[in-house]
Amino acid sequence: MRSKIEKLYTGIIFIFMYAPIVTLMVLSFNSSKSRAKWGGFTLKWYINLIHDSSVLNAMANTLVIALISTVIATVIGTITCVGLMGVNRRSRAVIMGITNIPMINADIVTGISLMLLFKVLHFETGFVSVLIAHITFNIPYVMLAVLPAMKTIDPNVYEAALDLGAKPFHAFRKAVLPNLTSSVLAGALMAFTMSIDDFIITYFTKGSGFDTLSTKIYNEVKRGIRPEIYAISTIIFAVVIVLLMMSERMRNRHASVRKDAPLYKVEKRISRRRFILMLVPAFAIIILGMYFGGVFKRKSNQLFVYNAGEYIDPEIIEMFSEETGIEVIYDEFETLEIMYAKIYQDDAAYDVLCPSDYMIAKLIDNDMIQELDLDKIPNRKNIGQQYMEASKAFDPGNKYAIPYCWGTVGILYNTTMVDEPPTSWDVLWDEKGAGEILMQDSIRDAFMVALIRNGFDPNTTDPEELAIAADDLIAQKPLVQAYVIDQAKDKMIGGEAAYAVTYSGDVMEAMAGNEDLDYVVPEEGSNVWLDCWVVTKKARNPEAAMKWIDFMCRPDIALKNFEFIMYSTPNTAAWEMIEDEELKNSEVAFPGDDVLKRCTSYTYLGEEGDQLYNDMWKKVKTGE
Amino acid sequence: MKKELIKLNHISKAFDGELILDDLNLVIHENEFVTLLGPSGCGKTTTLRIIGGFETPDKGNVVFDGVDITDLAPNKRQLNTVFQKYALFTHMDVAENIAFGLKIRNKPQEFIEDKINYALKLVNLEGYEHRMPNSLSGGQQQRVAIARAIVNEPKVLLLDEPLGALDLKLRQDMQYELIRLKEELGITFIYVTHDQEEALTMSDHIVVMNQGYIQQEGSPEDIYNEPENAFVADFIGDSNIISSTMVKDELVNILGVDFVCVDKGFGEMKPVDVVIRPEDVELVPKGEGTISGVVSHVIFKGVHYEMEVTARGYKWLVHSTKLSEAGSEVDIKVDPFNIQVMNKPESEDEEALNPDAD
Repeated sequence: MRSKIEKLYTGIIFIFMYAPIVTLMVLSFNSSKSRAKWGGFTLKWYINLIHDSSVLNAMANTLVIALISTVIATVIGTITCVGLMGVNRRSRAVIMGITNIPMINADIVTGISLMLLFKVLHFETGFVSVLIAHITFNIPYVMLAVLPAMKTIDPNVYEAALDLGAKPFHAFRKAVLPNLTSSVLAGALMAFTMSIDDFIITYFTKGSGFDTLSTKIYNEVKRGIRPEIYAISTIIFAVVIVLLMMSERMRNRHASVRKDAPLYKVEKRISRRRFILMLVPAFAIIILGMYFGGVFKRKSNQLFVYNAGEYIDPEIIEMFSEETGIEVIYDEFETLEIMYAKIYQDDAAYDVLCPSDYMIAKLIDNDMIQELDLDKIPNRKNIGQQYMEASKAFDPGNKYAIPYCWGTVGILYNTTMVDEPPTSWDVLWDEKGAGEILMQDSIRDAFMVALIRNGFDPNTTDPEELAIAADDLIAQKPLVQAYVIDQAKDKMIGGEAAYAVTYSGDVMEAMAGNEDLDYVVPEEGSNVWLDCWVVTKKARNPEAAMKWIDFMCRPDIALKNFEFIMYSTPNTAAWEMIEDEELKNSEVAFPGDDVLKRCTSYTYLGEEGDQLYNDMWKKVKTGE
Repeated sequence: MKKELIKLNHISKAFDGELILDDLNLVIHENEFVTLLGPSGCGKTTTLRIIGGFETPDKGNVVFDGVDITDLAPNKRQLNTVFQKYALFTHMDVAENIAFGLKIRNKPQEFIEDKINYALKLVNLEGYEHRMPNSLSGGQQQRVAIARAIVNEPKVLLLDEPLGALDLKLRQDMQYELIRLKEELGITFIYVTHDQEEALTMSDHIVVMNQGYIQQEGSPEDIYNEPENAFVADFIGDSNIISSTMVKDELVNILGVDFVCVDKGFGEMKPVDVVIRPEDVELVPKGEGTISGVVSHVIFKGVHYEMEVTARGYKWLVHSTKLSEAGSEVDIKVDPFNIQVMNKPESEDEEALNPDAD
C-alpha cells in the first residue's frame, strides 16, 4: 500500500515536471499548425528550421552571447574571487555585497539602467551591448559558486606550490585551480544558463535588429508561436540531455581509472577528457569566427525594416538583398502601438516601417517619418489609383506613404459550428456563441466592432459613446474565449472557436487550411484598412529604404508576396497577373464596391483621443 | 665553528599597522636544527615566512649563503617548507604530490621515480604511491608533505608547526623521525613551534621569541637551566618565579628569607626575579629547610607528584617522586646552584615582553 502511494507520488511529480516538455515535443511533430488538432506526424518544422534564417540567427546569437559572456564572466569572476581572498574580511563582505547587486536587483531595473547607460554614453545597442549586459549579470553567479570553494582551500596550498618551485601562475593553475574546477564549472554553467534564460535585460539592451532566442520567442508568443519554435526547443532540450548524459559518463569513467597506473608518468598524455575540454573553446572560436565574419562585415550597407508579424514572404527579403547587395535586418512588431513606442525611443533605428492608415497620420503628425524621394520609386505607378486616393485620407499629398496591403475587418466563422451564417456583429454578443468567440486584442479593432454595433462612428472621440462601447465590450467578455492577435487564424483552422474577428488577409490562409471556414463583413459596416511603407525621420539609410519600397512595388514581387501572405494587394499590375481566376475574383481578397462602401478607415485621433481609447481599453480588459 | 647559512639583519614587519617583528637579528648555521619557540603571535611564523619568501620584511634584509635574497620569489629559493596543515595537493595522488617540484625542474622520469621511492622509504610510506591524500591519516599526510619537500634537496627545510595537528603519541614518534631525518639528510632544519617540549627534544639551537623580540637564544640546556628572564623561565617548563631582592653577591632574599646562591654582579639590595624549577624544590621534614609551609594540593602525574606548597604567602610548585600528603607541614630547601637570578625588566618596553611578571 505504502509503496503504491510512493510510486503514485513519484509519478505525479514526474508528470508535473515532464508533461510540458513532452507536450512541446509532441507538437513539434504535429503537421497541423493548430495546437488543438493532431494533423499527423511530420518533420517539416525541423526542415523549415534549416531555412528559417531568423530563428537560426537568434539561436546563434543566443549561443554566441552565452558562450562569450560565460567565458569572460567566469574568468573575471574567478580572478575577482582570487583577489578577494587577499583582502580582509570586512572589505570582502562589502565587495561581495556590491557585486551581488546585479543579481539581487530586479532584472527590469538592471535592464533599464543598462539601457539608459548605453544611451547616455551614445553606445550603439546591439550585439556588444547585450554581451556587456550579460557579462555584468553573470559575474555574481560565477563568484557565488567560486568564492565558497575558494574559502575552503588552504592558502598554504598555493604557497606550497610556489615553495616547490612553481611560478605564480603555474602554482595557481596546478595547485589551486584543480580544486576549484567543479565550482568554476558550476559557476560557468550557471552563468551559461542565466544567459540563455535571460529575457528582460536582453530585451532592454538589444536595440533594433538583434534578437536572441528568448526575445525572438517572446515576439512569437504575442502572435502565436510557430511550430518551428517547438522544433528548436525540442532540439535544445535533446542537446542538453545528451550533454548531461555525456558528462555523467565521463565522470564515471574518470573515477574508474587509476588502479594499475605506473608509478609516475612524466610525458604529457592528452586524456580524452582534456581533449573534449579543448574542443569546447575550439568550437566556440569557430562559431565566433563565423559570426563575426558574417555579421559585422557589411555594416555600412544595412537596411532596418520593421513590419508586422508574418507579413512578408521571407524569400523576397533574400531576393532584395541579392539584387541590391543591401543587408536587411528585419524585425517584426506585434501591434502598431508597440511599434510606435519603439520608434519613439531613440534607440530603435529602423529605416522602413509598415504601419496602417491612422498610425501613419500619427507618425506624420509627430514628425517621425520623412517625405519619400518619389523619383527613386518609379514602380509606384503600379499601385492602383483608387488606393493612392484612399491614402490621401491620412497622407493628403501622397508624399509619405506607398500602399503595401489592404483589407477589411470581418467575422471569420466555422460553418459547422453555427446555425446560420452571421450577417451582423450582434452574433458576437449572442449567448449561443458563448466560449466560441475570438476577439481582436487590439484597441481600435475591438472598439470599432462595439462602436459600429451601437451605431457610432468608429473614429469617434466622444467619451459618452466610447463609454457605451466599453460597457458593451465588458458585457461581451463572458462570451469571449480569448483576445488574440494572429493566433485567431490558427485557432480557427484548428476548429477551436466558431467566430473570430479577423483581417481579411488572414481569412484567405485560414480558408485554405480549413474548408469549413467562411468570412463576412457585417452589414452594419466595418473597417477598411490600408498598410503603407514609410521611411522614418531618423533613417540611417534612406537611400536603401527607397530602393526597398520601389522593390516592393514591382509587379512580380508584389504578386509573389500576395501569393505568400494572401493579403489583398493594391498593386493593380500584380493583380492583373494573378492566374487563378477564383482568387483574382475572390470576394474576400478583392471585395466589391458594396462592401467597401459600408467600410470606414481609421483616422488618427490625436494624443487625447488615443489616451481616451487606452483608458477605456484598460477598463475593458480589467473589467472595472 | 659552523658556517653561517642564513642571516636576518634588522628585520621589521608590521601587519595592518601592528608591529609583528621589530629589528630582529638572527643567524642560522649550516646543519643545525634550529627551533623558533614562542607563544602564538610572537612572530615566529612570520620570521619563517620571511625566510621562505612568503612575506617581505618592511625593513632589513635576509642573507642566504652570502647572497641577499630579501626580494627573491619563493619559487627561486633553495629551501622548502612543510606547512602546518600539510597543504597537500588533494587532487593528486601521493606520487604526483612528491613529483611536483621535480617535474617543474624537468627531471627525467627515471630520476623522479627513484626520488619518489627514496623519499617514501625515508618517511616510511612505501606502497602509498597511488593513495589520495584525503585517504591518509594526519601523520601519513605530514610524512607525504615532508617527502614532497625533501626530494627537491633543499639546503634548508622550513617546518611550520608540522606536528601541531597530530595527537600526542604520534607527535612523539614524529619528533624522533624528524631528528633521524635531519641526521640522514644532513641539512638545516628551521622548526617553528609553541611546544617547549618539542623544542627541547629536537633542537640543537632554540630561539625563544615573544611579541616580535628574541628573548633568548641558546642550546636546549642553556635555555632550560639558565633562562635570562621571567618570560623564558615561565615559557620553558613550569617555574616558580618570585620577586626577590639581591642582598649582595651570592646572597638573595626570597620572601624575607636569605638564600645562598651562585649569581654575582647584580649589585646590592637590587630588586630581581628568581626562578626555581619545581623539580629543584626539595621538601624536607619541618625544621630541616629554609622556609616552612603547608602542602595545599597534590596531583599524581605518573612520573612524579605535582604538589603545591603554600609558604610565606607564595604558592610553590613542586615536582617530586616522593609524596608529601596534602595538609602536612613541610620545609622547603633549594640548592644554591638551582637558584636562577634574573634582572627585573626596567623599561616599559621590556615590561611588555613579560606579560606574566607580577
